[in-house]
Parts: sequence; C-alpha cells; structure tokens
Amino acid sequence: MSQLDGPSRRGFLRQAVLGSSAVVGLPWLDALAQAKGKTLTVAIPAGPTTLDPINAITHDPMVIMQTVFENLVECDIDGILRPQLAKALPEISADKKIYTFDLRDDVVFHNGQKLTAEDVKYSFDSLLDLKRNAARRGIFARIEKVEVDSPLRVRVHLKEPYAPWVYFLTKYMGIWPKDSREKLGDDHFKLKPVGVGTGPGMFEEWKPNEYVSLVRNPNYWQQDKPHWERLVVKIVPEDATRVAYLMTGQTDIIAAPPPRDFARLRQQKGLTGEARSTLGGWTVLLCNHQRPPLDDVNFRKALAHAIDRQAIAKDVFHGLMHPATVPAPPGSWWYDQQADSVISYNLDKAKEYLAKSKYPNGAEFEITIPSTPYLLDTKDAAVVIQAQLQKLGVKVNLKMAEPNVVVGQYVRGEQQSALVNIMSPGEATYLVVVNFTAGQVMSKTSNWTHPKVDELLKGVFAENDQAKLKPLYSEMMKIFAEEQPYVWLGFFDVANVWRDNIKNFKVNQGLSFHVRDVVPG
Amino acid sequence: MLRLLLQRAGFSVLSLLLVSLILFVLTRAIPTSPARMVLGFDASEAQIVKFEAEHGLDRPVLVQYLDWLRKLALQRDLGKSLVTGLDMNRRIAETLPITLELVVLAFAFSLAVSLALGTISALREGTMVDQLARLFAVLGVSVPGFWLALLLIRSFAVERPWFPPGGLVPLSAGLGPHLNSVILPAFSLGIFYTAILSRMTRSSLLDVLGQDYMRTARATGLRPWLVLVYALKNALAPVVTVAAMSFGYMFGWALIIETVFNIGGMSSALLTAISQRDFALVQAVVLVFTIVFLLANLVADLLNAWLNPRIRMERI
Repeated sequence: MSQLDGPSRRGFLRQAVLGSSAVVGLPWLDALAQAKGKTLTVAIPAGPTTLDPINAITHDPMVIMQTVFENLVECDIDGILRPQLAKALPEISADKKIYTFDLRDDVVFHNGQKLTAEDVKYSFDSLLDLKRNAARRGIFARIEKVEVDSPLRVRVHLKEPYAPWVYFLTKYMGIWPKDSREKLGDDHFKLKPVGVGTGPGMFEEWKPNEYVSLVRNPNYWQQDKPHWERLVVKIVPEDATRVAYLMTGQTDIIAAPPPRDFARLRQQKGLTGEARSTLGGWTVLLCNHQRPPLDDVNFRKALAHAIDRQAIAKDVFHGLMHPATVPAPPGSWWYDQQADSVISYNLDKAKEYLAKSKYPNGAEFEITIPSTPYLLDTKDAAVVIQAQLQKLGVKVNLKMAEPNVVVGQYVRGEQQSALVNIMSPGEATYLVVVNFTAGQVMSKTSNWTHPKVDELLKGVFAENDQAKLKPLYSEMMKIFAEEQPYVWLGFFDVANVWRDNIKNFKVNQGLSFHVRDVVPG
Repeated sequence: MLRLLLQRAGFSVLSLLLVSLILFVLTRAIPTSPARMVLGFDASEAQIVKFEAEHGLDRPVLVQYLDWLRKLALQRDLGKSLVTGLDMNRRIAETLPITLELVVLAFAFSLAVSLALGTISALREGTMVDQLARLFAVLGVSVPGFWLALLLIRSFAVERPWFPPGGLVPLSAGLGPHLNSVILPAFSLGIFYTAILSRMTRSSLLDVLGQDYMRTARATGLRPWLVLVYALKNALAPVVTVAAMSFGYMFGWALIIETVFNIGGMSSALLTAISQRDFALVQAVVLVFTIVFLLANLVADLLNAWLNPRIRMERI
C-alpha cells in the first residue's frame, strides 16, 4: 500500500501543467461559436451514457438534461425548492397524499407545442410504465396516479405521504410532450432529444467522449434567458487537461478541479473559484455489521472517535470536505449540532469504547477503496485512517478495487467496510432510506435497521413544514450518532473554477452546473 | 508469394476468431453487470434481471457469442452499445479514422526519424553524433509518453500558445489548424518507437556493415551510397518486423495519449467502454485492433519475404 503514499501519476502530471500564468489560445470551437454568437463552454470529467433524465446516473452530465428538460418545481443552487413549470409550489392536501400544481401558461416545448396538463400526466405515466424499466422509476414509485384537472392544472396522488418526492424532480425527471415517446421512441430521448424539452437549451449534437452541444431556446418562457447562444459541454476526464483547457481559454468553467490545486487555481490571474458543501454527498466508511469486528457498536464508536476528520479534511481533501459525524451537512437546515457533537476526535474516548467492546485488545479489518476516484479520491484518506486507527491498536488492511466492483460488493453485502463517496439528490432522507431501511438496494451494505428510524421517517414523509421536521431529524441524527451504523467523515464539497469574465455563475450545491443564468464573457 | 499470403491470411483469420472468443468470455466474466451501469447503483434486483433478459445477457455465453458472430459475419453488424444505445458500426466509423490518423502520423514520424538517426548513428559510430543519437534513444525509451505529453501541453499550449492543449480540430476547420492539433499527440505517441527503431536500425546496420560480403563490396570499389543501399536492404528485415509490431502497439498506447490530449478516438472510447462495462464497444474496438495488428504483421511478413528471398524460398 506504500504506493498510496507516494506521488500519484496524476498529481505529478498536474504539477507539470500548473504554474503557468499565460492565459491564451483560440480554440476552433469557440472561434466557430464567436462567429455565431456567445458560447458558454464547460468541461466535466465524465460524459453521459444517456440524455434521458429518467435514466440519468452520473451527476456531472446532468447539466445537459437539466438545461434541456424542466419540471414542475426545481431545486435551486442552494437546495431550495422553487416553482419552475408550475406557477407556484404545490397545494398539498390535508392527508399529504395529493399535490396540486397550477401550470404556467407561457411555456412551449422546443417543437413549438404549448405545455399542458396532459403532457405532465403523460410524462409521469411514461416514467412509471413498468415496461420502460426506467432507472429512476423506483424513487417515484409512491406516485399512484396523475390526474388532469384542467388544461393547466394537475393533481399527483401518492399511495402514502412522501414529502421528499418533489426534491427528486430536478435531477431525475422532465416533462415532455404527450405521446412523444411512442412517436419518437425512447432512443430519441436517449441519444438526441430534439424538440421534447422546455428548457433554456435545445439539443444540437452529441459526440460521445468529446462534447454535447446545445443551442439557445429562442422561445424560452424566461424571455431574457439564457444569455448564451450555444452551450458546449466538453468531456475531459484527465484532471490536468481540464485545467489546461481552462487556462488556455478552451473552456469557461470546469467541474471537479484537482483538490490540491484548487486554492492555487482560484487565485490565479483571470480565474475565480468557489467550493460549497454538497447537500447530499457523503464521504463515509460503510460498515457491514455482519462482519466482525464491525458488528459491535462500541467498536464502531471507538473508530469514530479515533478518526481526526479535521486533519483529513484539511490535509487530504485540501478543505474540500466538511467534517460531519452524522448524515447531515453542516449548514443544511436539518443539521443538528448537538447530534454532531456526540462524536469527536478523542483518542481517550476511543480507547474507552474499545475497552467496552467485544474486542478490547484491538482487532483487524479490511477497508475497500475504489481504485479510481468517484467525485473525490478516498485513497489518501484511507491511508491516513489506517495510521490513525493504528494508534488505537486497530489494524486496517487496505484493498483497492475498480469502482464498479466496489459498488457491487457493498450492494451484495460482501465487503467488510468501504471508504467511498455517495451522492443523493440533496435532501435528507434518500440515502438514509436506501441504506438503513429494509428491502432497499444498500440494505445489505450495513445490515442495520432501527425501528425508531423507520418511525421517524414515516413522520418525516408526512410533513412538509421545515419547522416541524427539524425535531424529527434531530432525533434521527442522535440515533445515528449513538449507533454509528456507518462512520461518517463528512460531506464533500462541490468545487468549480471559472474564467473571471464569466458573470452570474454560482456553484450548485446539487453538484451539476447550473447554467441558465450565466453570462458568457 | 501467393502461397505465403494465403497461409498468413488463414492464420490471421484463425487468430481473429480465437481472440474474439477469448475476449467475449473474458468480458462476460467481469463481476459487475452492464445493467448496473445503465440503471445505477440503486436499481433493484428486479430491474437488473429485466434489463439482462431484454438484452439477452441471461443466455449462455457461447450462445451470445455465436449470435454476435452470426450478425457480424452475415450482416457486418457489430451491434449496439448496451450502455449508450449507440450503433457500433457508426461509432467505429467515427472514431477509427481519428486514431488511425494519429497512429499513422506517429508511425510515419517514427519511421522517418528512426531510419535516418539509426543510419547516421551506425555510419558515424563512436562520434559525438552517435553519442547524441544514443542519448536520444535512451531518453525516448525511458520517458513515459503521458508525462512527456503533459510537459508538451505545459510548454507549448499553456506557456506558449502554439498548439491547442487538447482536442482534435476537425479537418473542416482547415488543414492548418487540424495538423496543428495533431502534432503534439503524434509526437508524444511516436517518440518511444522512434527511440526503439533507431536503436534497432543502428545495431542491425552495424551488424550488416561488418559482414564479409560488405567488406568485399567495398573492396570491389562499389560507391559508398550503393554499399549503404545494399546494407540497408539486408539490415531492414528485423526493423520491419519490429516496426510492424510497433504499428499495432501504437493503437494501445494511443489510449493514454488520446486521454491526455482529450481526443475522441477509438482508443479513448475503449477506455470509457471498459469502465462502463460496455461489452459491445469493447468487443468492437478490440476486434478492430486485432485486425489492424494482424494486417500489420501480414504486411511485415510480405515485406520481409520481398527483402529476403530466403524466406520466400523456404515456403515454396
């Protein structure tokens, strides 16, 4: 494992590219675009596998789907729910099972057709159609039916109260014209969604592994937007190349700047950068309670106390992670300081808990780490944790595996523990439900459930008022703090760097770029 | 010669079948299903099973292979990507020319420079020119291509804006900008093989020049350039073999160079396909690579037979 300590290839190569102050260059695409109008170019590390929002898996490419498609409501860059194609946030029935939306009457699809309630109903029906096997069907499965009340009014009936569903609409859903999937086929949505969205950008071209380009929607309902004529989303997997693209002006904004270079890049002449905590991005040690020694709550609490999260956040993630010991990001409305303070870095406490555990003389376990980073590299953090736990008398063996293999292992409950990043839509319940309730995809990862958490979740699902939700979350967080089903390190940041002639760009806590309001230089 | 050609072509077809079978079995042995890549880590088991059934992934591997082979042989259809849904014939048609151009340029550069350098080095054995050429060869072999690529980007794209830092400018944007965008990647790709081939040319030429028949040729008063032509013809046989293999290997190395320079060629598509469990694309790309490799070797065999009559005679 010594190779994890040494200078990485990427790190070394990055150094080779950085350090320059020259900001020059005139790439062909920009030149082409300048002839036609203002182009906004963004570079992301991973390309899409589909342009259909109901099958969108990776977060970075969602900038494309979220610019082509829109929904009834949207999560803004601060995670606040706002009306989008609806005139206002929905009216919710007393039993919390019926959501009524009044639609805007000035929205037209890219094909010129006016948006109506029939389109909304059709969009939900087609998402929920079992034959379609949509990747994101599961998170909308509590929708019983959608009714058209009038041409501009729809009612969504839920099978049971489930308040979080509206938060998923931005990322995993869209509204498309009635019968469009039958007329055009699902491949049309997957490969070239022309004419079927209402968003500020209209699909132009997808060159796999290279770029996706969109052009300005001249009939967009927010008439003064977008400010660009063309949006080009370039796929640039190599960190150093992405940085070089930014420095030479081949791109205006980059996603996922290398953490160790972020501070330097944002201070570079001509560049600006910002990092914000994601609302749903866990950096976490997944613990399988079926595999000793992680079956013992005192042992897990000993681990939790022995890990110096502040040091990891500062020295390993270069400030691009906000430490937290519970599944609530500091700064979110559902964060509970009291719950988060139950666990702190304290080696004496760690030793006390270890002594109380079934393994008072220490133990040995394995941490699996993804060999290539997903969102943030956890390899260095794993090495630091290995060293920190050694002080406790706990021996950690590190094992690397390809990311998809790691995912397969923890979904099947085959791992002992894994240090990973996982990202949710940016609300409080999704990852909790997926990980800590029965019959979910990651139920076997921990094999931990708690009747009180189940009960609190029911209460959360039946409530929309944040003031009333807060105590429920606080109680839930206290259970997580006391039980430590996983050992949370914190919430990773979303960071962007952009050229300073770009106006109105703000970092989105939901991770994917929010480009509707951006004014290109 | 025809017999040799048929013999080698038959061997190539058999190799191709074997490689495709091995590849097919190996890709199916990877633990994570492509369904997980398409439907996400939080997809239910029922969704995964449905996807696999819909795409025939639940059938025995041999049945899947024979089906793939049948479509390939009868309809020349490489299939569709399970992950992106893109047509593989089209993907290959779009990406192969990019990688082919990069490799051909890198290969042409390697061949031209290495033959010149190796020949000069052999003719000026022990001189400063020879020492410099040997130093170049050692550096060329030792310096990793991706590291060199990053250095070149820093020096000639970021610090001095002579070349773009990445991406391939399409030919439609003009020949100048297009060539400008391919110079750094081709140089990075070709430098390793330039070093290898120049060393090989030098040692092979030195070996031939030291033979008795060369001394006799010189003693008969043959002009030096004519002696060199005869020597080169004899010295080139091992160089041709290695050069042909290098041409094939370059497609593999292009994977790194295309990634660093962000070029959407076939090699970088292969890298993405592997990480996405995109079986159809992996199979299609590796199949094309295998064909290129076998063709390069076939050409090398024929060239060697032309250069060395003994090879032709042995097979008759």
